[in-house]
Amino acid sequence: MIKFENVSFSYGEHVVLDGVSFEIKAGEQVGLIGANGAGKSTIMKAALGLINCDGEITIDGMAMERENLSSIRQKLGYVLQDSDNQMFMPTVLEDMIFGPINYGMSRKDAESVAEETLKQLDLEYLKNRHNHKISGGEKRMAAIATILAMKPEAVLMDEPSTALDPQNRRTLINTLNELTVTKIIASHDLDLILDTCDRVLLLSDGKIAADGPANDILYDRTLLEGNHLELPLCLAGGTYKRLKTV
Amino acid sequence: MNKAEKACEELRAMDELAAMDSPVHGMDPLSKLLLTVFYIFVTVSFNKYDITGLFFMILFLVVAYQIAGIAVHTCFHKLRIVMPLVCAVGLFNPIFDKEIMAYIGSVGISGGVISMLTLMMKGIFCLMASFLLVATTSIEDICRALRKLHFPKMITSLLLLTFRYISVLLEEVAIMTEAYHLRAPGQKGIHISAWGSFLGQLLLRSMDRAEALYESMELRGFYGEFYYVKGRKANSLSWPAAFVYAALIMLTRLYNISDLLGSLFV
Repeated sequence: MIKFENVSFSYGEHVVLDGVSFEIKAGEQVGLIGANGAGKSTIMKAALGLINCDGEITIDGMAMERENLSSIRQKLGYVLQDSDNQMFMPTVLEDMIFGPINYGMSRKDAESVAEETLKQLDLEYLKNRHNHKISGGEKRMAAIATILAMKPEAVLMDEPSTALDPQNRRTLINTLNELTVTKIIASHDLDLILDTCDRVLLLSDGKIAADGPANDILYDRTLLEGNHLELPLCLAGGTYKRLKTV
Repeated sequence: MNKAEKACEELRAMDELAAMDSPVHGMDPLSKLLLTVFYIFVTVSFNKYDITGLFFMILFLVVAYQIAGIAVHTCFHKLRIVMPLVCAVGLFNPIFDKEIMAYIGSVGISGGVISMLTLMMKGIFCLMASFLLVATTSIEDICRALRKLHFPKMITSLLLLTFRYISVLLEEVAIMTEAYHLRAPGQKGIHISAWGSFLGQLLLRSMDRAEALYESMELRGFYGEFYYVKGRKANSLSWPAAFVYAALIMLTRLYNISDLLGSLFV
C-alpha cells in the first residue's frame, strides 16, 4: 500500500529524513513514534506528495508523480496536527462534504455519508454547528470525521489525540479499532499507539531506529529511553516517577 | 477580547448571516450576483440631479432586506468604516455648483447640494446591495457563480483564498497581540520598537497557516473548481423572481415614480 525506498529530505542543512525505507501493507495499523523533530510529520507529508523528497515513494503501486497526486490523495486521508487548519468551511457538515464532492460524489450522497460518519462517532449534534463555535476537542473529532467521510483506503493521523478529553479519546480509540482501512498514526501518546496499532516504526534523527510489533517495541524500555521516549503510562506501573507529590 | 478578535468575530458573523435560511438565501447565487450588478448599474446611471427618481431605488433594498431577514442596521454597523468615506465623495459639490435648482419653501437648494446627496445615496445604495449579496451568499457560492460566468479559475481561487487568508491573518494578530499584552501589561497598543519583529512574525506565521489551509484543501481534492457548491439546492423561483425584480428596477429607472405620484395629486 505505502512503500518508501531510501527516502531522504532536508530543510537546507538540516536533514529530516535520511534514507528511510519501509513498506506498509493494506490493512496494517502502524504507529509512527519518535521524539520531537524525529521526522514523523515529514513522512506523512512525503506520503501525500506535499513535499518533494529524494528516493522512491509508491502508494498502492502508483509512483509519487504529479499526474498521480489526485488519485494518491483520494486514497489517503490525512488528519492534520492542527484542526484549525483542517476546518476551513463555515459548518462541520460543509467541511465534511467538501472532499467527497470534490472527488465526484453527489451532494446528496456526500451528505448521507457525512451523517453516517457523524453517527458512527456520536457527533450528530455537531452537524450544523459553526466550526469557530465548537470546542478544541470537538473540532479535533470533527476534523477526523471530515477525513473518514472521504472513505479513504488509508488514514494518516498526526497527533490525533491532542486536545481530546479522556472520553473523546476513548471514542477515538474505539473508532480507530473499528476501522478496517490501513492506519498510520503519528503520536507521542504511546498508550493510544499501544491500543490501536499492531506495528510500530520508531524514528530517530530521520532514520528508522526500530520497526516491529507494537508489543515488542513499546515494552522495550531501553530502546524507548535510548530514543528520548518513555514507556507508555499504562506499562510504567509502579516504576513511573511522579514529578509532583500531593 | 482584543480588536483583532472582534474583527475576526465580525468576519465570521458574515458566514453565519450567509448560512441563514430565507427565500433570498435560497436563490441561485448567479441570479443574485447578476441582479446585484444590474441594481448597481441602474443606480449609478441616474442623473446627478435626479434625486427624486433615485430615492425610490431604496425600496428594492428595503424589501430584499426584509425578505432576507437581515436588519438594515446590521449593514450600517458592518460598513460603519466605509460608509463615511462613500458619503464624503460629493462633499465639495456645493462649493463648485451653486446654481439654485429647487426651492423648499423659500430656501433655495443648489445643484451642488442635490448632486452631493445623489452621490451619497448612490454610494450607500450600492454598498447596501453589495452587502446584501455577501450576507446572503457564501464566498464559495459567489466564486462558483463567477466561475459560471467564465471568470478565470485563478481569480476565483484568489478571491476565495484571500477571504480565508484575512481571517487567518486576523486570528494570528489576535493571538500575537494577546501574547504581547500578557507580557507588556499597561501598554496601549504595541510599542514602536516591536513593530518590525511583530509584523515579520505575523507575516511568517500567517503564511505558514495559509499554506497549511491550502494543503488541507488540496488533500481533499480542491484544484480551483467549486464542485462542492454545485449540488446545493437553489429555489426554483429564483430566476423568475430575479427577472421580475430586474424589470421593476428598470421601470423605476425609466419612469420617475415621484413625478407619477405627484401628478396624481396635482
